[in-house]
Amino acid sequence: MSSRVDASSDGENQRDEEESPEKSIWLNAHLDPMACLYTFSTSISLADLNADSDYKLLVADLGTGTFDMKLKVFKGTSLYMESAIIDLPIALVSFYMDTNDPRTPAIAVASGPFIYVYKNLRPYFKFTLPPLSVNAVEQDLWNQAKEDKIDVHVLIEMLESLKNEGSEGMLSVRSLKLLSLQPEEVESFANVHKHTTLKRQTVITCMGTMKKSVADDDAVSCLVIGTESKDVYVLDPEAFTVLAKMSLPSVPVFISVNGLFDVEFRIVVACRDGKVYTLKRGSKMAKACIELAAQAVGLERTGKSIIVGCMDNTLQCYSTKGKKLWTVYLPSNILTMSLMDHKARGFKAVMVALSNGEVRIYKEKYLVNTIKMSDAVTALKFGRFGREDSALILITKGGGLFVKILKRTATFEGKDLTPGPPPAQSIKLNVPKKTKLFVDQTLRERDSASGMHRTFQHDLYLLRLMSARSYVSALQKSLNPISSSATEPLKLSAQVQGIGPAFKLTVNLQNISSSVPSSKLLITFQFDDSLYALSKPCIFVPLLVPGLMYAYETLVECISDKGISDVIKVFVLHQGNSIPVITAVINMPVSEALVIV
Amino acid sequence: MGIFDKLANFLRLKKKEINILCIGLDNSGKTTIINRLKPEKAQAQDIVPTVGFTVEKFMSQSLNFTVFDMSGQGRYRNLWEHYYKTAQAVIFVLDSSDRLRIVVAKEERGLPVLFFANKMDCKDSLSAVECTKKMGLDTIRDKPWHICASNALTGEGLPEGVAWLTGQLNS
Repeated sequence: MSSRVDASSDGENQRDEEESPEKSIWLNAHLDPMACLYTFSTSISLADLNADSDYKLLVADLGTGTFDMKLKVFKGTSLYMESAIIDLPIALVSFYMDTNDPRTPAIAVASGPFIYVYKNLRPYFKFTLPPLSVNAVEQDLWNQAKEDKIDVHVLIEMLESLKNEGSEGMLSVRSLKLLSLQPEEVESFANVHKHTTLKRQTVITCMGTMKKSVADDDAVSCLVIGTESKDVYVLDPEAFTVLAKMSLPSVPVFISVNGLFDVEFRIVVACRDGKVYTLKRGSKMAKACIELAAQAVGLERTGKSIIVGCMDNTLQCYSTKGKKLWTVYLPSNILTMSLMDHKARGFKAVMVALSNGEVRIYKEKYLVNTIKMSDAVTALKFGRFGREDSALILITKGGGLFVKILKRTATFEGKDLTPGPPPAQSIKLNVPKKTKLFVDQTLRERDSASGMHRTFQHDLYLLRLMSARSYVSALQKSLNPISSSATEPLKLSAQVQGIGPAFKLTVNLQNISSSVPSSKLLITFQFDDSLYALSKPCIFVPLLVPGLMYAYETLVECISDKGISDVIKVFVLHQGNSIPVITAVINMPVSEALVIV
Repeated sequence: MGIFDKLANFLRLKKKEINILCIGLDNSGKTTIINRLKPEKAQAQDIVPTVGFTVEKFMSQSLNFTVFDMSGQGRYRNLWEHYYKTAQAVIFVLDSSDRLRIVVAKEERGLPVLFFANKMDCKDSLSAVECTKKMGLDTIRDKPWHICASNALTGEGLPEGVAWLTGQLNS
């Protein structure tokens, strides 16, 4: 068995490392996908059973769900001991029940109305919940049945009506069983059981521990149990007597205990009515503190906040006063939750196992780490296992047992994703002091605001008028380099190359129409002939195909040696028409003096 | 080095000084191994968890060993790397019965030379070959290394390891 598991774990190890060699902060210490464990977070625990600082893993295994329930103890990677449990286990805790040396803890397994206490891995004590008072009418009915005053069918009928009155939870197990039987079985069942005295028992729904009078790690602890009868009991660890009994308005399902029994304590309970209640020392009745939108699937406390996982895929945090602090929306259903308390580093976070196989670790509302598992995780526990302080136990839906160890060098970095003002907003700008000039200007602006505005508007209108005028004149004289006329849509650009006295003037001409070719065009220049001499003062342009760029060149020589420059105007003309189609103005650069070598 | 030192060295009168670093996880048996290697008279009876580190000296054949016995507890492990530089050899002690923490030992593995797969007397301990595989030692190619199963309580396997180390350091 062990060799096969080892081989598979090795392969698994290597594959995991290939996937994320440096990323993961977890080491895969042990992987056993065939461990066949069926359990939940409340039913696993880590404890130093032999007081040799080699912590064991305790699992209350539900077996098949109907039989084969077992208490299993793992030492390192191997099964150390197992012992049968008679009924389905509900919760398992380890606690110190005495002050004897060596400090070996006891194990308490809650199952039905009983708590089985194990010491040194041997059954030590069985605690039974105190019986509840039997409904008087029910008692009377059974008494009559016993004395054969009434028929079994009458008994069933009467019990049925009693049940329909809304006191179903008040009936004894015997009556409920009788009501659920087939008609042919009722007679024999009633005959067998009617002679014994009628008792009403409740069952345990959740269990926790609370230190009695000292807060040490190995101090004596009381058991705190929640029952189906809507009560919370605190039990004495040595005598197993009820130290305190508190009532709740609903059936508790998750319990979280803080504080010391003899000093002051708070018990936070999530109930089946979708509310969270708090109980404190001396109170007989619970105080409703949180009303949840959906049913709770997990409850943890870190410091002053209560973190509840809900069925609507949310993780919600409340203050102890019941004020909602934040909500995290999760992508999948929550299966279980557990607290991660890394004492060596003072790091506390909540681990949440999701139905998509992820285990997410939230430090407050920030996601600090995600573990991806091949199967959904149903039970989680972080703590000391073997000699390793930071081990994480994961048990999957398929029954696999996985142990991961946190790397010594691991760091948790939570990103703050809260929207708010950017940090730059809070930086103070270095605003200079107000000068006298600034103050004077401000005063002037204040005094003659309307006059200034009017002047500005006047100048603006003038500017607009002038620009409109020059635009119109440019259009009339075709002075712009792009022709807008429908007959000759042309684009002209010209450039000068060289440093002088000889320049090269390049004229680029393009027909920008989509289909109409242009013909019978010529290019001519206007210039001061005392300054410049052109090699080709007039260029005949052949047919221009639409879209293509045509380049025409002419040499310009500066014949003046005075170091002055002028403009040359380029006209594109249609033959037989004196008004140019388009015009471009070229500012000629100042010519360099002619150097004769 | 004076002429007398040279002469002494030549005649093998003066022994070579060797600094050794002894590391491994807590409770793997480092101090017990070092204790075993000391002369009979100097051996301590009770071994307690080391705090920080201790320095031990002992002789073997031609070498004078100075061993830095480091504490293996998590909070002292970052000390190890500071002593690598001064050490000429490293002894890495493995608890071969602690299957769970083999991965942690692998993670902490620096560049050791001699491995002791300690506690081979424990009933569910791994063999030296299994340890080699789990620690991924077969991937070390650039350094000489050696693993031997040991039992520090009886001293079994220790001379073999030290003999190998001595041979390596002399060559």
